[in-house]
Amino acid sequence: MKKSQQLAVDTRPWRDTANNKPFVRIKNVTKKFGDVLAVHDVSLDIYRSELFCLLGGSGSGKSTLLRMLAGFEQPTSGTIEIDGQDMTEVPPYNRPVNMMFQSYALFPHMSVEQNIAYGLKRDNLGKGEISDRVAELLSLVKLQDYGRRKPHQLSGGQRQRVALARALAKRPKLLLLDEPLGALDKKLREETQFELVKIQESLGVTFIVVTHDQEEAMTLATRIGVMNLGEIAMVGEPTDIYEFPNSRFVAGFIGSANMVEGKVTEDEPGHVRIRSSELGCDIYVGHGVDCAPEQILWWAIRPEKMVLSREKPLTPHDANVTSGIVEEIAYLGDISLYQVALESGKRLRVSQTNSVRGNPDAITWDEKVYITWSDSSGSVLTV
Amino acid sequence: MTTARDPTIPPPRRLKPWNAVERGLAKVGISGRMLVLAAPVLWLLVFFLIPLAVVFGISLSTKQFGRPPYSPLLTTEEGTVQLTLHLNNYIRLFTDNLYIAAYLSSIRIAFISTVITLFVGYPMAYAIARAPDRWRNILLMLVILPFFTSFLLRVYALTGFMRGNGVINQFLGLFGLEPLVMMQTDFAVYVGIVYTYLPFMILPLYTTLVKLDVSLFEASADLGARPLRTFLSVTLPLSLPGIIAGSMLVFIPAIGEYVIPSLLGGPETLMIGRVLWDEFFTAANWPRAAAVAVAMLLAVVIPIMLLQRAQSAVVER
Amino acid sequence: MRRGWFLPIAAALGFSFLYAPIVSLVIFSFNESRLVTVWSGFSTKWYGELFRDPQMLNAAWLSLQIGAVSATIALVLGTLAAVALVRFRRFRGRTLFSGMVSAPLVMPDVITGLSLLLLFVAMEGFLGWPQGRGMLTIILAHSTFCTAYVCVVVQSRLGDFDRSLEEAAMDLGASPLRTFFDITLPIIAPALVSGWLLGFTLSLDDLVIASFVSGPGSSTLPMVIFSKVRLGVSPDVNALATIIIGLVATGVLIATIIQLRSKPKKAKV
Repeated sequence: MKKSQQLAVDTRPWRDTANNKPFVRIKNVTKKFGDVLAVHDVSLDIYRSELFCLLGGSGSGKSTLLRMLAGFEQPTSGTIEIDGQDMTEVPPYNRPVNMMFQSYALFPHMSVEQNIAYGLKRDNLGKGEISDRVAELLSLVKLQDYGRRKPHQLSGGQRQRVALARALAKRPKLLLLDEPLGALDKKLREETQFELVKIQESLGVTFIVVTHDQEEAMTLATRIGVMNLGEIAMVGEPTDIYEFPNSRFVAGFIGSANMVEGKVTEDEPGHVRIRSSELGCDIYVGHGVDCAPEQILWWAIRPEKMVLSREKPLTPHDANVTSGIVEEIAYLGDISLYQVALESGKRLRVSQTNSVRGNPDAITWDEKVYITWSDSSGSVLTV
Repeated sequence: MTTARDPTIPPPRRLKPWNAVERGLAKVGISGRMLVLAAPVLWLLVFFLIPLAVVFGISLSTKQFGRPPYSPLLTTEEGTVQLTLHLNNYIRLFTDNLYIAAYLSSIRIAFISTVITLFVGYPMAYAIARAPDRWRNILLMLVILPFFTSFLLRVYALTGFMRGNGVINQFLGLFGLEPLVMMQTDFAVYVGIVYTYLPFMILPLYTTLVKLDVSLFEASADLGARPLRTFLSVTLPLSLPGIIAGSMLVFIPAIGEYVIPSLLGGPETLMIGRVLWDEFFTAANWPRAAAVAVAMLLAVVIPIMLLQRAQSAVVER
Repeated sequence: MRRGWFLPIAAALGFSFLYAPIVSLVIFSFNESRLVTVWSGFSTKWYGELFRDPQMLNAAWLSLQIGAVSATIALVLGTLAAVALVRFRRFRGRTLFSGMVSAPLVMPDVITGLSLLLLFVAMEGFLGWPQGRGMLTIILAHSTFCTAYVCVVVQSRLGDFDRSLEEAAMDLGASPLRTFFDITLPIIAPALVSGWLLGFTLSLDDLVIASFVSGPGSSTLPMVIFSKVRLGVSPDVNALATIIIGLVATGVLIATIIQLRSKPKKAKV
């Protein structure tokens, strides 16, 4: 690979699966601890130089999946391939994979340099080579002057960088990061996020990051795999996950969403009409949906995709407009979040940008308001 | 910064000798786990579990002259194996007043000493747990320190303290008081047990007390409880696992104590450990000594079970 | 919280109760007179006498040897047992195993001593080993109960050991054995040292078990002391006690200083 490296973030190889070979192939992997199903039949392809985020709550199986990639756990069934080689049976110390631990797991009895050099020594590299490499890594994480310190003499952020340097030292094909920013405070976390992406892009190493923080996943990832109850709920680019959730779980898990139940009344190739008694109106969806007439399904819409008004706006198709009373207003600075109670008792959350400073004419408590949305703003969900 | 290693070249693979050994053993059905477990399991089987079985077996034998000085349980007579069990040792335990008295008096002495140790140890443990941080470690060390000096020598130190012309009586003499007779009484045995086992009481009590959140006491005081009320309704119940663990750690060894009654107690201070010792060393009646041991074991089984439950509670908190 | 006067006074009384007999023992070891309780002038003659007593010296040497060997065997066995109990969540017979490991902690000495003696006699009858009783049988007996103590100490250290440290080492290419020596051992070393010292001290201190399993000519130090003390006070025992207390106090002091120095580090990592 002499030519400058093409990064997955630019080429998006997952959009053309026919011509791109995945770098990590997880095939039908299941992991049971006793009777507990931690990971259930997960199949996942990850491409070279991707920064892939596994996102899920606690107990979703994301960490177990990561530990199986590292080799600390053996899958109960299924296989894991890395760069075309079956790694399922290979012990952790023989895998071309390194891991950055959530607790950092820095060896307390070794200095920063010794920590970073540890993996290189296991490869029986020469002394000179090791010290060159250690110096290189220390400068990469901007800790040149800290090589002789012990881990307990470092701040949390510095320890995080040592852990990263140690994991990168062996030039792994694949770097696994378990909640890499979890132990940092909010401000440091935001700075470090960009730092991490920069390092990943400059090295071109494939990263798999486990996180429970969706904002972090959105910022870092080329693609996100949302996990729930040991299964992959959805895989996609951050925008796909947010704008086109494939299930009620994903729509509810990522960001906030209003969700209503409805019944299909018109099912045409070009549009679908859904009657929702909760909403008190029809929903007109401007594209075809894989469903049947009379089918009960769900429709989800983000608070910022709806518009509030005092006067009843004109809407085509006699749909996509409902009304209610403003119950609560949360002023968040850039936006205000309105909670509107509909006639059915259902409450919708609508956000409005505060584009006028100190607007005296803003919609206020107990007003009757109309809520509208366009025919492509919501997602129709069948599961 | 260089870029990642050329991924088209497979990573170097070296055969590590440890892997080969491990794989070889796995083929024969031996895992690393079994290797780790084997030594302690075998050792404890041979030197802990089997000996207890042997004691039980020999307690069903009877004394005879010769080596070993007990009758064999299994004999072969005309080609058939015969099992001879004697119950006379146990019958003696239940009929001879000496044994019953020793048994009951052991329990009594151990119980009284345990209660005294609790009353002496609780305030000390509480004081240490509430002491300022930098004092706490020093005080704790002062509690543990005697434990590391010889048990025997500490009992010996007490004899110098309590004998007729010992330190206490000389001190009393300064005020013109009559000397007290302390040595060779049950009182001396109580003092001896309290003195030597006090650290065993203080440490588990300290462990539970130090973990109690100060805000609990503050909350109790805030809700209108006076210090004594707070102690009785908050501190005491929460330190119960420590009280049980500490008490059992004193009670169990005290039951079988030999050194303290024989150095501090009088000839009439009967304790089951002493009876066992005399049965073995003086009377050379091994089967009867074994039967006494089995009886003693029964006396400590319930306290041991209590202890284990309390200990796991102490650890979990 | 407001502090009352009760706790400090109770603690002070408790500590004087613990230390007064020891202090008087030490003071009277320097007494001129044979009477250990009546002061008649300063002298170190009992120390001289102690070091000229061959019986005492032989017993001390024997006890030190037994202590060192037993503590070492117990260190290996106890560490293995602790590793098994902490690391192997489930295996057949786990309850029995953990019971066997911890039972010697509370087993009355007379029972342990008697049961081991009966075992040794029976083994000699069946296997011809161990022949007679002496140093070997005492070592076997002491190793057994010291194992329990070592196991408790190492277990608590392993219990709060961050396993991801070992995983990190393996992740960086170290085999399990290598990981054990590079990472696990250095980190649990303080527990191993205190486990060994505890075993050594307990072995050195044991009278009852040794009395059962020793044979003629193998009297340990506590056995010699006991036979002397039983006959009444003897000032050379005071001298010996003072030496032992001095050694122990120094050792514990050094250990505490080391621990206090390393403590702030541990709290952070």
